[in-house]
Amino acid sequence: MSIAEPAPVTAPWVGRLTPGTRAALITLIAGAVTLLLAPYLPWITIWPDAWTLPATQWVDTGLGLVLNLIKPAARWFSWLMEFPMTWANFALVSTPWPLVIGVVTALGWYLGGASMAALGFLGLIFVLASGYWVESMNTLALVAVSVPLAVLTGGAIGILANEVPRVKSAVQAVLDIMQTVPTFAYLTPLLLLFGFGPVVGLIASAIYAAPPMARNVILGLERVEPEIKEAAMMSGGNRLQQLFLVEIPTARLQIMVGVNQCLMAALSMVIIAAVIGGFNDIGWEVLLTMRKAQFGQALLAGLVIVVFAVVIDRMSATLATDRRRFDARVTYGILGATVIVTALSLGFLPDPATLTLLDPVADSVDSSLGDFTAANGAALNTIKNGAMFYGLLPLRIGLDEAVLPFTWGFSWTPAMSAGLFAAAALIGAVMALRGNVVGGLVVLIGAGILETGVAQMPWPFVLIAVAALGWVASGWRLAVISVLLLSTILISGLWERALLSLYLSGAAVFACAVVGGAIGLLCAVSPLAWKIMRPISDMLQTIPLFVFLIPVLMFFQIGEFSAFLAICAYAIVPMIRYTRHGLVTTPDELIEAATSSGATEWQIMRDVRAPYAAPTILLGLNQTILYAFAMLVIAALIGTTGLGQSIYLALGQADVGLGVSSGAAMAILALVADRLVQGFAEERRKALGL
Amino acid sequence: MKSLGLGIALTAMAGAVGATELGAVDEPIRLAINEWTGQHVTTHVAGQMLEAAGYKVEYVTAGYMNMYQAMEDGELHAALEIWSSNVSDDYAKKVAAGGVEELGDLGLDAKEGIAYPAHVADICPGLPAWEALRDCAQQFATAETIPSGRLVDYPADWGTPGADRMTGLDLPFKAVPAGSEGALIAELRASTERKSPLLITFWQPHWAMSAYDVQFVDLPVGEDACFNDPAWGPNPNAVNDCDFAPSRIFKAGWSGMADKWPAAHEILSNYQLSVADQQPMMGAIDVDGGSVEEVVADWMAANEAKWRPVVDEALH
Amino acid sequence: MATPAPAAIECRNLWQVFGPDAESQLSAAMEQAGGDPDVAAGNLKEKGYIPAVRDANFEVMPGELFVIMGLSGSGKSTLIRCISHLLGATSGEIRIEGEDIVSASKKRLIELRRKKLGMVFQHFGLFPHMSVADNVGFPLKVQGVSRKERRQRAMEVISLVGLEGREDAFPRELSGGQRQRVGIARSLAVNPDIWFLDEPFSALDPLIRRQLQDEFLNIQATLKKSIVFITHDITEALKLADRIAIMRDGKIVQIGTPAEIVLNPADDYVREFSRDVAKGQHACVDSVMRPLDQKPDNMPDDPGLRPGMTLDAALAACMQCYEPVPVHDENGVLTGIVHPADLVAALQVETK
Repeated sequence: MSIAEPAPVTAPWVGRLTPGTRAALITLIAGAVTLLLAPYLPWITIWPDAWTLPATQWVDTGLGLVLNLIKPAARWFSWLMEFPMTWANFALVSTPWPLVIGVVTALGWYLGGASMAALGFLGLIFVLASGYWVESMNTLALVAVSVPLAVLTGGAIGILANEVPRVKSAVQAVLDIMQTVPTFAYLTPLLLLFGFGPVVGLIASAIYAAPPMARNVILGLERVEPEIKEAAMMSGGNRLQQLFLVEIPTARLQIMVGVNQCLMAALSMVIIAAVIGGFNDIGWEVLLTMRKAQFGQALLAGLVIVVFAVVIDRMSATLATDRRRFDARVTYGILGATVIVTALSLGFLPDPATLTLLDPVADSVDSSLGDFTAANGAALNTIKNGAMFYGLLPLRIGLDEAVLPFTWGFSWTPAMSAGLFAAAALIGAVMALRGNVVGGLVVLIGAGILETGVAQMPWPFVLIAVAALGWVASGWRLAVISVLLLSTILISGLWERALLSLYLSGAAVFACAVVGGAIGLLCAVSPLAWKIMRPISDMLQTIPLFVFLIPVLMFFQIGEFSAFLAICAYAIVPMIRYTRHGLVTTPDELIEAATSSGATEWQIMRDVRAPYAAPTILLGLNQTILYAFAMLVIAALIGTTGLGQSIYLALGQADVGLGVSSGAAMAILALVADRLVQGFAEERRKALGL
Repeated sequence: MKSLGLGIALTAMAGAVGATELGAVDEPIRLAINEWTGQHVTTHVAGQMLEAAGYKVEYVTAGYMNMYQAMEDGELHAALEIWSSNVSDDYAKKVAAGGVEELGDLGLDAKEGIAYPAHVADICPGLPAWEALRDCAQQFATAETIPSGRLVDYPADWGTPGADRMTGLDLPFKAVPAGSEGALIAELRASTERKSPLLITFWQPHWAMSAYDVQFVDLPVGEDACFNDPAWGPNPNAVNDCDFAPSRIFKAGWSGMADKWPAAHEILSNYQLSVADQQPMMGAIDVDGGSVEEVVADWMAANEAKWRPVVDEALH
Repeated sequence: MATPAPAAIECRNLWQVFGPDAESQLSAAMEQAGGDPDVAAGNLKEKGYIPAVRDANFEVMPGELFVIMGLSGSGKSTLIRCISHLLGATSGEIRIEGEDIVSASKKRLIELRRKKLGMVFQHFGLFPHMSVADNVGFPLKVQGVSRKERRQRAMEVISLVGLEGREDAFPRELSGGQRQRVGIARSLAVNPDIWFLDEPFSALDPLIRRQLQDEFLNIQATLKKSIVFITHDITEALKLADRIAIMRDGKIVQIGTPAEIVLNPADDYVREFSRDVAKGQHACVDSVMRPLDQKPDNMPDDPGLRPGMTLDAALAACMQCYEPVPVHDENGVLTGIVHPADLVAALQVETK
């Protein structure tokens, strides 16, 4: 890798450079220096084992001590939680199914009228027909207990952050950690603490579902008009009266948004809880069918979860709006009819477990998947090989190693490296001359990364580049924090795996940004496209992610490309949603102003809508990054070699230290990426005065 | 599987037996139900034997890798099909700590090995002899492994036996770890559908062995020396140049069981099940769609001679 | 100020500085500036601090309607929040009916708010989840007054502000004017002695605003509260105020009666405010009246001026006069003289 970098720009300029240019310049110099030195100083590319601290063991020992200390309290809590669990389970499972369906339908009417009632009714009929009634009710019982737990915990955290402003940033950090450390990473300690059984699933889903609640409580309380707070104060209310009689009721719509998100998060965590078992819920069914690679059945079980998610989401969303009231007589009518039907049919009800009405559909889905794979084997192989050879592999190990006679038809030579850099330098120079100095420098940096490969980037370069990015995005504090956090990964010996994870999720995020952005744009322009994409997006976000793994595996087998696709399937959704949302919510005045200036549709999109939507789109990108990291763990079930694999290794071997360290490393990568993007989004927002 | 209700507890009408020997008959014995059908069969046979002896039994779904903590805590009382080739490190720790004890071999004759779906023999003539792999390695190559062939290995947390074989035998194959059992099955299925080449680390008894007509590659029979002495075997420079070490399938339980349910402890310790008995039941469930309870109950009725003596011996 | 009864509100050297550790920064700045508040404020600003209220001194007499006027950002809202202690002042003294509230305990503050203070907000500050009656009864609810009693008192004030019949409506169902009536009613529910109004009519359209101003004056005529009223509208200030304090950049630049403000602006800033005001309608003859000892020997004309006449009226009466004219009080006693030239000069202040 001995390549001559173009000489750095001369010194007299430096004083006049913008922060962005300076940061890019520093990064470029760092890259060039590490690239030149790498052949002579091997420790630049590979962090020496001798410098690695046995951090995972320390974590293991330390956590072991702490866990033993709080174990009695945790066990007591488990014992306590078993009561509501048992009650909820008993109530839901032993209630005759017509009664459950009737009550949900009545609730639907009460909350949202005829359409909501129909949704509830048809949804539950689908569940009944799938034959998963008992499992679904078990799942529902789990959700019914974990959601109040998460709502209370999240609410308490939110109120705490509101009342004690000093802890607010600490609370935000804790919430971030709760959401980014993959659940699998802390299942083992939870198991140790709370003992075997559904309580672990309960706690895991509460940990995951509490943050959205807390965030919405914080946001809601912050957004209460100051005058309303002051009016409560001037009315002579003490703090508790102000909070509970005025501020919380005033913020109730935002808080209800939190409850809604909390429900969805708890539901999505149900499948994770199933890995431990002990509850015979619908997640366990998905796992069993997934293990047999029965796509049809897994899809059916997964769709049951989707149906629940949609019904719960739509019904609870009505709570977050000022809703109109529906005729109570209809509610009572439905309830009455239900009771009568149930009473009359009590002896003749078929056992829901024997219903297999949808099995033929599942089977035909399954066999058509097989047929499709059989018929298109060659085409699928071509797609996969193309993507691997010309996309993923060069990105991972660099052009210098990925370009081989087997694949590209020739070998990579130093001359080609020189050519690559010369081309990059030319493009960079042209861009710089046209005023885009930062862009020009970034092109050069990109060429360097492409030459080396993401997974083989020298660590000093990564640290310097992140510091530079952090500094530009938000200032020296972010730069310092990012470098410190990344250093912990470095010294704990997880760096190589972290880079592999970074490469895979980075490739997925890039693909999602491009493709998702394009789809979002299309949906913004064409209502028809949005009509088609919206239910697909809903499904992609709520169906247990495991279900996707089967078709991806069938088409493209075990390997990075399959993992890449699985990650994209999940992480592309926020990009589509936010892009569309940002583009369509441009204020009418701006559009009118542009139209009256004679701008064409396309010019409006490029010059008005897109810049205005930039902060929103950046937020979408941010979500896409977080989703990609979250999916990385699931994608490891396909077979990848990053941090996700470490987490499963740890889970299988009950290695608390490795599990928690790998989870933490993953959270660190996600958080640093998150803060960087948010920093840029914030800057854009400020620039637009939003 | 849909009929695996939570907490099915039946009290069998057992004959007059001394209660001291049985122990706490009023409390259910909780048996682990793991993620695969064979284990369901094994467990339900044991459960129905315990019921015949007069116990209450509860079947509890439990993750195979993560169940030992529950066993140590006395929340799960026995797991009846544990594969020595794939045991969580946690098991050894819990046994060492005294919370979990082994309950002897199940007697299920298991085999692990390098395997391939039958159609692959057309692509690589010379199979099942292992030497054939050296020449057709190119046939198995893919984007990630070029120029080596591709071997789909066990999930990383089960160890890397396939990769060890390839190194030991100096075969030009690169092992790609699967992420999960589902991934292995999907590979087998896709390969069978597409008639594409596939080399995979696999085991039996497994329902997929017959479903996808999986064959094992013939490797030199493993002796202890193979795993310790490089000089042994076809490759004079490496260990592991032979077939897999034979795997053992055994039972384990909560160490308090002998005191609380003495007879049950004895029954489970002596319980044996053969591949010849298990495999047809697996077929009846996975292929013909029967429920575990019914298939096992039918088998119990038809094969009383195979299990009744174990129960009777414990009770007298 | 040697008044026998204590002032309803009294502020001395009141400062509100925003920024970290403002208190010690302020005292350091004051020391450095040798006690000159303007220099101290300048120093603080240079350090990035915001002196939103600087060295405010004034008192409000019982029953007085005291208006604080200034442009947005002048610190008037901050000032009223200091007095009502919604914001803790950085330094200085605030006395309400003689009682120091800066050092008052939290409990005492709640007590004061429950008994003595009422406040009306620019954007009404109504609780969206409560009906009109519940909003109005809220200050009683927090004191633990029974539901029935609350309702009764709420109905009284609701009828005082002319909202009978709407007591069960929710704020979102009301017009802006009606909402502010609810705000006013709520602030009067506990019958406070001291009434804070923070730009209460600014968010309303002009017709409604004038109507509410008139009703407000009527209510005040019967209730006689001690009032601090914030506005950015000079016309409103002149119409309502007994006295006006004009703020600029956190500083009170002038305190005076409407006539004093109009006729003797303390500086260009105040003058700028009164530029478009029809001064003739706000100042009276007594503001330009000269004492009797300047009486000339001969006053040919007597247009019938009274001390309380507006300057406009006086000018209209004196159109043909060029010599000083006498001013008589209601009993016909000669109390002073007016030069017609002074009248004209007073009205043309703004052209300078």
